[in-house]
Amino acid sequence: MIQNKLFEQVIGDLDIGYWELINNQSSWSLAFLKNLGFEEGEVEVGLDYFLNSLIHKNDRNLFRDNFYNLVRHDLDFKQTINILCKNGKHKEFVCRTKDELPVNVHGDANVIFFYERKYRTNEKVKKDSFYYQESAEMTSTGSWYVDFNKQESYWDLQTKRILEYPEDYKPSLKDSSQYYVEEFHQLAADCFFKCAMAGTPFNTEIKMLTAKGREFWAKAIGKAVYNDNNDIIGIRGVFQDIDDEKSKIASLQKTSEIIASQNSRLFNFAHIVSHNLRSHTSNLSLITQLIDDVKTVEEKLELLDSVKDISESLNSTIEHLNEVVTIQTQTNDSKVDVCFETTMSILKKSIGSIIRESKTTLNSDFSELKCIQYIPAYLESVILNLVTNAIKYKHPERDPLIIIKSYIKNNDSFLEVTDNGRGIDMEKFGSKIFGMYKTFHYNKDAVGIGLFITKNQIESLNGQITVESEINKGSTFKIKF
Amino acid sequence: MNSTNVELACIIDDDTVYVNLVKKIIETKKLCENLLVFSDGKQSIDYFEALLENLDAENIPEIIFLDLNMPVMDGWEFLERFTKIKNKFGKVITLYVVSSSINPIDVTRAKSLSSVKDYLIKPINIAELENIFARSA
Repeated sequence: MIQNKLFEQVIGDLDIGYWELINNQSSWSLAFLKNLGFEEGEVEVGLDYFLNSLIHKNDRNLFRDNFYNLVRHDLDFKQTINILCKNGKHKEFVCRTKDELPVNVHGDANVIFFYERKYRTNEKVKKDSFYYQESAEMTSTGSWYVDFNKQESYWDLQTKRILEYPEDYKPSLKDSSQYYVEEFHQLAADCFFKCAMAGTPFNTEIKMLTAKGREFWAKAIGKAVYNDNNDIIGIRGVFQDIDDEKSKIASLQKTSEIIASQNSRLFNFAHIVSHNLRSHTSNLSLITQLIDDVKTVEEKLELLDSVKDISESLNSTIEHLNEVVTIQTQTNDSKVDVCFETTMSILKKSIGSIIRESKTTLNSDFSELKCIQYIPAYLESVILNLVTNAIKYKHPERDPLIIIKSYIKNNDSFLEVTDNGRGIDMEKFGSKIFGMYKTFHYNKDAVGIGLFITKNQIESLNGQITVESEINKGSTFKIKF
Repeated sequence: MNSTNVELACIIDDDTVYVNLVKKIIETKKLCENLLVFSDGKQSIDYFEALLENLDAENIPEIIFLDLNMPVMDGWEFLERFTKIKNKFGKVITLYVVSSSINPIDVTRAKSLSSVKDYLIKPINIAELENIFARSA
């Protein structure tokens, strides 16, 4: 008997028939037998007798599949079935498993409930198939069946529509991998193989390929179909086009990344305003205090000289602020095709003398990726910054060697700038390299603005910059456009 | 006029304009005899760590004014290393953090450190500076 007391009561009150499944053997409740007009002991209790003698043949296969999926994989189901009664007529029942129950009274054993249907739906079959088609269309869900005995697969109209095949198309079982994007062939093969061999149902997201070569995201669900001998004879399932949702999620993800990078720029901006502007104004205020305090005119004049210094630093800070603001506003400029070679020749012209004087060897290889869509001024500024940095922080014992290489990996464009300079202590400064006004070496022309601007330019165009470095060996800056 | 007992003070700050102004105040007000200036945390911690080898009281400052935002080694890292050796000098060293940062997180963090006497927000006031020297004298 069902162990849960409350459960028992509810079932008893409503006189609902059920099967309790223990070790794959079903025991039928008295109410179930009575609903069919039988007395206890009048019929043989068991799945085989039920399938062969009681259930209507139209419902037999689906019920058997559902039953095996329940006992083997714990898959709940709900199905309408017709069962033969003692009086020779069929009665319609809705059978559901416990998780499909609308009330929350769960027992421990697997249970299938059989409610008598108050009205017959046979007249409605036409209508049902209309609703089925409607909902299949509205949710872009197509169903399919693979028959292992006939070695054939069947698609409904909606599946053909989703995959953009003509209505009279015969799907191929042998070349079924053609319906999936190449990277997903393995996943598709795994799902179908496991389902066909072990009966493991699948529910996965996979990228499919239509007849017209269009790629789209689909949800693929499949369950094994069993025959009377419990052999798997096929797989039944659905494909749902979820491309819209997927692309919405992707664009949401992108938006949130953009917001995060804008937020970090704002944070930097606030830092410059609060810290760097403040240090100048506080110096100004200190000077005015001092001017008031000193007695002689000479001393007062001397202090006025410092006002000039402050005004100069104030100017350069405001210029830096301006650069940061310009990045935020310029991103709306349209990107154009920029070729790395062109950018390099502009660069060599503008810093040719620095390259020569520092005896820098500049090697570049753009054979794999010649041009990208970018803002030309940004690309120049980015490469210029990385190259001049590499020269500025060259190793004291060797001439600078800079290698610039562009390439494509996983559909993304990359640029790498590698130098043999003195390197950066990543453990100490790793998190600060791209920060504003951060300098890590004693170098009189170190300002700490270059890499900050570089990072911001790259991020404003949704790219990324990372760095790998080792002290005394050199650094590699990697840009993902 | 203001005869002082503070022998040696130390400023750790990369802002040369600020350093020159403080120097000027100290000179005019005769707040201390000598002044040590470092432009970042690395130079100053090197100095203090070297001092441990030869504890010459003359070279140990009584007051330190420490900036937070500096290149190479910032004020936080200096504080971390300085706290470890602070008690080995056999002399009271009073340390003030002097920063233009008004970020409350910085203020709370600095004040929570035992080696920090107080957090001064730039611009510092001349009278306030005189008070600090008078207290340490």
